Amino acid sequence: MNGIGRVAVLLLRAPFTRRAWRDVWFCTAGAITGLAGFAVVVATLVPALALIATAVGAVIGLPLAGTAIGIARRLGGAHRQLLWLATGKRVTAPAAPRAGPGVPGRLGWQRLRDPGGWRAIGYTGAKLPVSVAAGYAAAAAVIGLVDCAYPLAWVAFGNRPAGTRLKPLKALFPVYHGQHWVVRTWPGALTTALLGAVCVLAGLWLARGMTMLDTWLIHSLLGPSRVSELERTRAIAVDDAATALRRIERDLHDGAQVRLAAVALNLGMAREQASDDVLRELLDAAQAEVSGALDDLRRIARGIHPPVLDSGLADALASLAAACPIPVRVRADLPERPPQAIETMAYFCAAELLANAIKHSSANTVDITIYTERFRVLHLQVTDDGIGGANPSRGSGLRGLAQRASTVDGTVRVASPPGGPTTVTVELPMRIRGGGT
Amino acid sequence: MRVVIAEDAAVLREGLARLLAGHGHKVCAAVADAEALNAAVTEHAPDAVIADIRMPPTHTDEGLRAAVTIRRDFPSTGVLLFSQYIETLYTARLLQAGTGGVGYLLKERVGNVADFISALERVAAGGTALDPEVISQLLRKPDPGLASLTAREREVLALMAEGRSNSGIAGKLVLSEGAVEKHIASIFGKLSLEPEAADNRRVLAVLRYLRA
Repeated sequence: MNGIGRVAVLLLRAPFTRRAWRDVWFCTAGAITGLAGFAVVVATLVPALALIATAVGAVIGLPLAGTAIGIARRLGGAHRQLLWLATGKRVTAPAAPRAGPGVPGRLGWQRLRDPGGWRAIGYTGAKLPVSVAAGYAAAAAVIGLVDCAYPLAWVAFGNRPAGTRLKPLKALFPVYHGQHWVVRTWPGALTTALLGAVCVLAGLWLARGMTMLDTWLIHSLLGPSRVSELERTRAIAVDDAATALRRIERDLHDGAQVRLAAVALNLGMAREQASDDVLRELLDAAQAEVSGALDDLRRIARGIHPPVLDSGLADALASLAAACPIPVRVRADLPERPPQAIETMAYFCAAELLANAIKHSSANTVDITIYTERFRVLHLQVTDDGIGGANPSRGSGLRGLAQRASTVDGTVRVASPPGGPTTVTVELPMRIRGGGT
Repeated sequence: MRVVIAEDAAVLREGLARLLAGHGHKVCAAVADAEALNAAVTEHAPDAVIADIRMPPTHTDEGLRAAVTIRRDFPSTGVLLFSQYIETLYTARLLQAGTGGVGYLLKERVGNVADFISALERVAAGGTALDPEVISQLLRKPDPGLASLTAREREVLALMAEGRSNSGIAGKLVLSEGAVEKHIASIFGKLSLEPEAADNRRVLAVLRYLRA
């Protein structure tokens, strides 16, 4: 009994909550945009598909379909905005399609291949029945509210003097029942009010249901897809890691390394003043330790983020080559700087491949070529004239390289016939998928 | 000697200034970035500049670029680069501007005050002062001529590349000056450097080293 009572109270309290009336306005606005949007998208997409079906008409049909998808996407934005205004729930937009190069890009070809756009079309369709139901719910709640006011109308206009019959008053109900409900009597007014209250409750709860359904639809069709969301977060993780490593190197450089250099300076000045042999020996020993500590720090910093990489990949590779015991030719053609994470990855790949060439292949010379292909792919090719026979499935180094490259959808190819030469090609994207620019 | 210091870490900037002042050198200006360095050099025309490579605003190779400009515009000013890292590429860029009046040392070398001051004086006098680390990096390169050098000759050549005079090399290796001269003659022979002006051959031998 108590339980039923509580449910009843909950059901009856709905009209007095703010949320219920926010649902009503969300349903009203959503129904209008949903229906209008459906009409516009269908009016654009159907002729577009019909044109594409004629094959010749595809010239106009394809861009038109792209326009329909673009409209659906924009409408999706409006629906997300509505959801945010009504419920405070934010849904991030799916990644925008990137304009490809050339004429197709200018014609909006990328829109046709935009999964976010097609999902927005799906939402436009799914939203149609929801719009109808939501509009109905909102109308029921509002009409019910009007009906509730009938006794007021009676008191205000009808029952004066006492006993007079009320001028016939038509009542509206959101359920069709063949004829108009006409209120003439005081009990009739009260009954209307009671039925109105039922309508309000039913309308509000239906509105709640439709709001929840629409929220779910918006989340699943107008938000980023799981794959694109994972790509986005992976791009952030890769970029964060690169930034963090660079910051650590900079902190070392501006912090510990400076302090140790200052210690060396002060030890040197102290040694000049020292007249005692024992003291001088101790200061020399301290000096040697400071040098050792700085050597260690330099090695660590180079492993984290080689400072010369800040001047660009070409300089960094040239420096790598210069410090190498065998002749290394570097050819770099990089009109555009890749993102930091890609630069770092390319650098460490080159360093590892160079070390491999020296250690395992008894090479006499190494060629490093790096260039960008159509501004999209960064090619790194390391060729040595050594004995060949490198096997990526055996060596953990090459496998590790491939794994690292795969974190940004990069690839590693190894061509190493016995007797050489060995060529390793690393391809990295110039833009991390899911990342910003 | 009149010196300008460019170093963004205040503790090192002030430490260097104190050290130089203690050895009777005049520090005309101690600045923290490349722009201020160029202004200070223009104003004071110092005998030597000590410049950090990585300085604001980009913290990449400002000091190196400033060094090349200063060597070009103020030939009488020697530039000693002072860095946490030895980058062979930077060495090559620095030496492209000419082998005289330049130096490149790791910051911790300041711990050996006498060597540091003499390196600075060498650079101011138009000589070279390269960090032993630079030399050892460059020495890894094969060169048939260089490969035929004995261990002792390599040591001598390394010290020549550091910019030391014969007597300096003799002192460092505990040899007589005559012995050093013999080694040098042998080096010139193995590198097939024709006997022209002795100084020229010296620079050529060092360059062979650095380019190899």
